[in-house]
Order: sequence, then structure tokens, then C-alpha cells
Amino acid sequence: MDNAKRKYVIPGDVITTAPFRPEQNVILDGKKIIATVVGTSEIYDDSVRVIPLAGKYSPKVNDLIIGKVVSHSSLSWELDINSCYVGFLPAQDVFGRDFSAHADELTSKLKKGDLVVARIANSDRSRDPLLTVSDRELGKIESGELVKISPSKVPRLIGKRGTMIQTIEMATNAIITIGQNGWIVVSCENRNGLLKAIKAIRMVDKQAHIANLTDRVKLMLESSGE
Amino acid sequence: MPNLGNTPLIDELKSNQIRDFLEQGKRIDGRAFDEPRSISIEIGVIPKAEGSARVRLGNTEVITGIKVQPDRPFPDLGDKGIFICTAEILPLAHPTAEPGPPQEDVIELARVVDRGIRESGMIDLSKLVLVKDKSVIGIFADNSVIDHDGNLFDACAYSSTAAILSTKIPKWEMQDDVPVKIEDQESDAPITTIPVSVTMGRIGKHIIVDPNMDEWLCLDARITITTNSDGNICALQKGGKDGFTLDQLTKCGETSTSVGAKIREIIKQTKETGQ
Repeated sequence: MDNAKRKYVIPGDVITTAPFRPEQNVILDGKKIIATVVGTSEIYDDSVRVIPLAGKYSPKVNDLIIGKVVSHSSLSWELDINSCYVGFLPAQDVFGRDFSAHADELTSKLKKGDLVVARIANSDRSRDPLLTVSDRELGKIESGELVKISPSKVPRLIGKRGTMIQTIEMATNAIITIGQNGWIVVSCENRNGLLKAIKAIRMVDKQAHIANLTDRVKLMLESSGE
Repeated sequence: MPNLGNTPLIDELKSNQIRDFLEQGKRIDGRAFDEPRSISIEIGVIPKAEGSARVRLGNTEVITGIKVQPDRPFPDLGDKGIFICTAEILPLAHPTAEPGPPQEDVIELARVVDRGIRESGMIDLSKLVLVKDKSVIGIFADNSVIDHDGNLFDACAYSSTAAILSTKIPKWEMQDDVPVKIEDQESDAPITTIPVSVTMGRIGKHIIVDPNMDEWLCLDARITITTNSDGNICALQKGGKDGFTLDQLTKCGETSTSVGAKIREIIKQTKETGQ
């Protein structure tokens, strides 16, 4: 991120006229590359993109997300995944191949209000995204606290090669599960550590656009003491 | 937004957390069990209305506008003016709020607020008659929920009450059987008492006053009790799937009087200072 030239843009701003490759949230108009959202523009060696300041989550295949069960039919659950789409979790995924709509009661495994860590198995814009929980460390969340941040701030929370999240986890002894959709579950044996970790996450959400964020978070984690 | 149902849903972790805290004698936002959220009331927020108020109860926010106009009386109540209270949750108030015909909960909201004010006899409706059986003055209180963070009953009730207290009633005179407004003459509304509603919820064996949104979604049962200036109960509404024991009900009645008295002072002060 350091070799990127960043500046604040609003929709319609011309970021550059150089022959770069347009990536997320920009359009190419003749030679001009124009921002389509409010955010910070980043110019890399050969590409231009805008990281939005706010926005809903748009599902991408293989993303790890956290969803909330809102309803179910006889064959599948529907999950709120903080998106314009509803996450769709088929019953076979939880019950296995020999699932029978007559014999198995879906509410015995997951009921309304349950939180689930899942992966996006398939997603195109014509259909609701298909979720899966059949992998290690996926499935129902039994304990912890849910924190909601803007999905656009998730990369900042993880940091470069996971530095930010490691910093927070090390300082607080908390276990943090980050969903790409901006929902995060924090669990920690120590109440103090839990509160501190949540404070740090909220700080990243609020100050994601400010430089030297990792240092600020470190400072905050150290200053408030054990 | 996808259709996630029109009722908000709390996640299981939060719900368990709220229950655990209650067992330890604590509430999720640090309040005491019988402590309402901070209340701020402004009046005169809509200059063109005869009366208006904006109430913030924690993060719940309601604006009430009062319209006063001549109307035909109800056929069986020819010697009384009209009072009607309505409520609406604006789509911007909450992600689950949608435009369109009111849902059951909104209809209940309007009725509970209306009943509290009507049954307390707050407005002396017999003073609002122009011609018996023919023409009376009607007072219409319209509540708009701007922000929904639980307990709309109390927020709307305080807002309506404060708005009515600030209402100036124009003067009408009958000329050829038609009420004609006399310019620049107005009087205060005929107020007899100040009703205050207190909503309490039960989670497990614990009774909490003024539940916020998260607590609201965990409630086993709720009860809204309105008391008048003398501390007498004048209206009551019970909701939720479960019930209350006799002891719990008695306690709720006492709480509604004691908490109500404090809130009544806040409403009174607003009127006097005209903030």
C-alpha cells in the first residue's frame, strides 16, 4: 500500500488520464479514469482503484463470512449476510448427503438468530449466493460477541499480511473471526481483553482512512493498560 | 434490501449475553433495572403546527405534530370535542421499517398512546364544543418515529403529551352554521392532568423499565402502564407471548407510579422553560 498514491475522491472525480488498468469502483471514459464512489483512490504500478468509505458487502466466491439465520424452508436456511443478497445454506450441507426433508428437522441444527461462520461456495449476480459450512472451523458460533463494521474497512482491519489483526490478537489474547461482510466475532476469556479488542476494531472502522493506523491502534492497546 | 422479514431479529449471542447480565443484576447498557434512558424534550419544533414536540429517549427519536381544526363530533358524543392520535414508523427509522399500510405493531402503538391520553382525561374535551351535536374542535396528534431503538410506546406518549401541552387552540365562531376562524386569538388547550406511560418488560424473572432495542427483542412479556398526575393508573396494555405473576404486576404498578412521577417533572419543566 505504501507504493500507492492515495487521495480522496468523490464520484465523477478524474483520478488520472494515464494508461492504467481500471479496477474496482472506477470507470474508463475515453482516456480518463473516473471514480464512481466516495473513497480513497489508489494508483499502483499499472492499475487504479477506489476503496470506498462505505458500502454494502458484495459476495465473492471463497469469502469467509458471518451470517445470521433469519428463516428456513424445508430444504435450506436463509442467512442475513449484511448484503443486498440473502445467503442460501442448503440443508445437505449440514445434515450430509442422506438428508431427508421428512425425517430431519432443520431447527434442530440451526434456528433463527443463530450466527454462522460460512464460506461463499458460489455466487453470481443472477442468484442468491450459495453458502457452505462443510469445512474446518466453519459452522455455528457458540460464544463470543458480534461486532459490526463497514465491509469496506475489512481489508484495513486485517492489515498488510494480517499485521493489524495479529497486533490486536496478541495484545488482548482475543480470538477474532473476521467475516468479509464486515461482521466480526470476538471471543476472549478475559473481559478486559474482550472490551479492548472491540474498542480496537471500532477504532479501525472509524479511522480506516487515516494514515499510520497500525501505530495508533498499538498505542491505544498499550496505553489503556491491562 | 433482501426481504429479511419485517421484524428485527436479535442474534443468539447477544440475547444470551443480555440474560447473563440480568442474572448478575446488570443491564447491557449499564442502567439500573428501574432506570429509563435519558430523556430530552423540545417543543415548538414545527412552527406551522398548532403544537409540536421532539422527544429523544436514548437513541429512540419521535416527532409529534398537532393539528387543531373544527370537525363534526362523533354521533354518540355530541357534547365533546375530538381527540385522535396516530403513529407512523418512517422507513428511515430502522432497516426493517417499510412504507405502506401500517403493520400490527404500529397500529398497537397508536392505540396505546391514544388510550393513555384519552383515558387519563388529559384534555377536557367538553370545552372544545362549538355547537352541540353539530360542530366541535378536533385535536389530532400525529407521531412520526424518526429513529427506532426500542420502546416506541413511551417515546410517542411523552412526545404527544408534550406537544399537546404546547398547543395553542385558535378561536372559532359560528357564522351561518359554519365555523369561522378568528385571527390572532388563541388559547391554551384545556389540560386537566399530565399522563405518563411507563413500559416495563420481563426477561426471565427480571422486570426492566424502558427496554432498548436489544432488550426489547428478548422480552418474554411487556406491560405499558399510564398514570395521571395524581399517580393513579388510568390505562394499561400488556403484550408479548408470556405473562406476569400477580407479584410482578403489583411491582410494575408501583414502578410505573414512581418512575412516572420523575418523568412527569421532566415534561412539566419542558413546558415551563419552553426549550
